[in-house]
Amino acid sequence: MDLDVSDLSQNMLSAALGAAKGHAADLESYLKARAHLIADGTVQIGKDRLAGVITDDDVKFAFEQIKESEATSLLAIEVTVKAAAQDAINAALAVAAGAINKAIGFALL
Amino acid sequence: MKQFGLQLVLPLALLLAGCSFVSPYDETTDRLLTDLSVKTQTAIAAADAGQLSVADREKFFSEAIGTLETIKARATLLNVSNKNQEEISAIEQLEQRYRDLQQHGGSPRTSLTTGLRATLLALQQIEIAKKRSSVFSAGLKKSTSTQ
Repeated sequence: MDLDVSDLSQNMLSAALGAAKGHAADLESYLKARAHLIADGTVQIGKDRLAGVITDDDVKFAFEQIKESEATSLLAIEVTVKAAAQDAINAALAVAAGAINKAIGFALL
Repeated sequence: MKQFGLQLVLPLALLLAGCSFVSPYDETTDRLLTDLSVKTQTAIAAADAGQLSVADREKFFSEAIGTLETIKARATLLNVSNKNQEEISAIEQLEQRYRDLQQHGGSPRTSLTTGLRATLLALQQIEIAKKRSSVFSAGLKKSTSTQ
């Protein structure tokens, strides 16, 4: 039995997009949480400095630490994108394997 | 309508089967990071309230750095084919944030720990991505085996 390229490619694409969707939602939540955390921290830096609880040196240190955290954020985004790509590819391959099994009439893959 | 024979699709599927770009999810690492996050937030709340003594502060930093060394050792064991390198780098960067804060001195107040908390959040996102992928892969294997 032959496989239909058009149907198979459409099913593979649907599976791949479905697999990546969850990661995309996680990434959005993460970026929102990060923006909120930094905004909140920045307000707190201003408040503490005005209240004299921290010094100018502390403000510079705190801001430098925020800048340093950008590198780790980039790593988090990188891993999330890789995981999404991995799941999308494997989902599409599972559809292809299922189509092959169906075509030959037994579970070879 | 275009059609392919099995002789073209089969080798391709076998060649690409089980594609992996990130190392597997490790539940212990995730749990240790969550514990570290709780301890960090607790220490920050105590510092904001002026209730974190110098001794408590030093104990907090020692335990945080010790926890991260443990997590790094596990992450290194899982670094097959360099697929866990991003997580190892993230752990090292988080450890550096704790060391910077310890060396800067003073109490770890909310205002001074924004960079540290943002770094911790990034590492937690790495665990979330790995966990989602792990759950997805398990579901995929289950559905493939029952076809």
